Amino acid sequence: MPGKLTKRSTHPFFVFTHWVNAMAMLFLTISGLYIAFPIINGFMGVARGTHFFWMFVLLINIIARIVSMFFIKCACEQGGECVEYDYKNWFPQKTNRHQMWPMIKYYLFFKKDYPITAKYAGLQKLAYWLSIILTFAIAYTGFALWGPTQDWIIFRIGNEIVGSLFGFGGGDGLMAMRLIHHWLMWFILIFTCIHGYLANIYGPSASRLIFLYKDKK
Amino acid sequence: MGSEMTFYENLSQRGVSRRDFLKFCGSTAAVLGLSSTFVPTLASKIAGAAESGLTPAIWATGGKCTGCLESTLQATYPNVADIVLDLLTLNYSAASMATGKYAGEAKKGVYEGDRPFIMIYEGAIMTGLGGNTLVNADKTTSLDDLEHVMHSPNLKAIIAMGQCAVDGGWTRAFPNPAGGMGIKYYLEQEGLDHVPVVNLPGCPASPEELTAVVVQALLLGSDGTLETGIQAVAADLDRLNRPKYLYNATIHDSCPRRGHFENGEFVHRYGSDAEKKNWCVYPMGCKGPQTYRRCPMMRWNDAQSWCVESGGICIGCATWNWVDNNAPFKGRHRRVGANNILPGVWKGGINPIGTAAALTGVVAAALVAHGFGMKAAGRCGKNATLKTEEMKEYDRKRLKKQGGA
Repeated sequence: MPGKLTKRSTHPFFVFTHWVNAMAMLFLTISGLYIAFPIINGFMGVARGTHFFWMFVLLINIIARIVSMFFIKCACEQGGECVEYDYKNWFPQKTNRHQMWPMIKYYLFFKKDYPITAKYAGLQKLAYWLSIILTFAIAYTGFALWGPTQDWIIFRIGNEIVGSLFGFGGGDGLMAMRLIHHWLMWFILIFTCIHGYLANIYGPSASRLIFLYKDKK
Repeated sequence: MGSEMTFYENLSQRGVSRRDFLKFCGSTAAVLGLSSTFVPTLASKIAGAAESGLTPAIWATGGKCTGCLESTLQATYPNVADIVLDLLTLNYSAASMATGKYAGEAKKGVYEGDRPFIMIYEGAIMTGLGGNTLVNADKTTSLDDLEHVMHSPNLKAIIAMGQCAVDGGWTRAFPNPAGGMGIKYYLEQEGLDHVPVVNLPGCPASPEELTAVVVQALLLGSDGTLETGIQAVAADLDRLNRPKYLYNATIHDSCPRRGHFENGEFVHRYGSDAEKKNWCVYPMGCKGPQTYRRCPMMRWNDAQSWCVESGGICIGCATWNWVDNNAPFKGRHRRVGANNILPGVWKGGINPIGTAAALTGVVAAALVAHGFGMKAAGRCGKNATLKTEEMKEYDRKRLKKQGGA
């Protein structure tokens, strides 16, 4: 996370949605792992309740975050004065142009200097969009497994496709869908590891800003 | 069941009272999802069909263990379900009648006769070695038999009895040298899919499931006959050709141990106190959550018990390709098949949990190593080689362009 951060780099609402995202993913991961591996007795009802509650929270939160990027302004560049609607930071910008390959080379130690980039680098934007797609994909697989919704045509089609692709020769596809749901959780964990690492490798300022809304002194 | 004897006389002769028969009609109505007001209708339909003539049926067999037929003939005493199944006259049954010339003639008599008939198929279609993996005494193959029957204009429907007939069952388990496959898949492959197939998955299929289909056919038949009714049944199946009312809930949905699951009361070891308390066997590898069947409600052996109730786990015998999918039976399901995407690669399937956990570990280790590299290259903290000033300059220019300070 390069550059000096200012409070303009984010917005209190984004701090809030980031907290909710982090909490939801933490509770969903723990409860999901318990549902898959109930190694100690006594918590299945709690785990399932927690899982369903945070699933709805995460979905509402992520939709709110996407919608808010069209209404909330924050800095275009890290440490910059110029503010713009946040959605501009999420799509490719002029300063992202031709920076993807230099950025990859930089992180692979083939390039010494950090490339000039927008507030979010090209790779970063790609990862953020991917995380949103992953979240919707895991929600889709979850609804395809959930009793009240698994018979909806949109989820039944998914179970059918997954059953024919991964089910050792067709069938209901329910277990294959469950395993894919589990698999996607691990991909989100991988994203979280990389996200946490890159956000903090240059220092704690990015974390201070997004968790505490505190600028670097 | 001769026409000279009324249906109720026949029941009485076999030790079944009218009260037992009405109780059976009540439980069948429940399986079919009907209210108790339908009981008199059911009773009159069954009695009427029994007295108006029987529907010829062929019980043909492919590669199988005879378990489905055994299951159907299992009754230790005549029960109502047996008598309802007598509405079908099994003119030919490969496994339960004496083989030879007369059996062949009996079968020929049905498919070359002038009466509509249905075929109950038990076992997998054996396509290996050109069908020579299952050969009759007269050196014809089971595929030849099927060919003759399928071309009969009087064949109204096929009931695929048991998982082998549905999708090949255990017969098609990897590496499947005999080329076992389900009848519907075979008919589609051979362009013989003009006759509807009603799938009754499970290993073995249950007589109650067959009974429910026969009774449903009686209810739906436009002229009160099985022939028209079975076609009406076939017109209202789910996407896997199963009667919707029989396979619309998982074992887990109606399991008597479901309360223990919700309470988090699990058996982790056989022989433990938890097992004695009949707690949930989900951690022991129970496949109930992904298996659509009504075992907890129907139960087996004249509704005495079923797998989980007798202390075992559900091994998911009514799921597609269940042997490959669910083995080892006493372990949790942990693999997804890859054969349909990458034929010949990872025939045993991929363990997504193991691979993803390993991948996450590799990524985490790589990030730690990368962090040391970043530190060694002097890119961390205050030494970061970030072009902050250039970026600020760019920002100032943009602000100016927008008319700012």
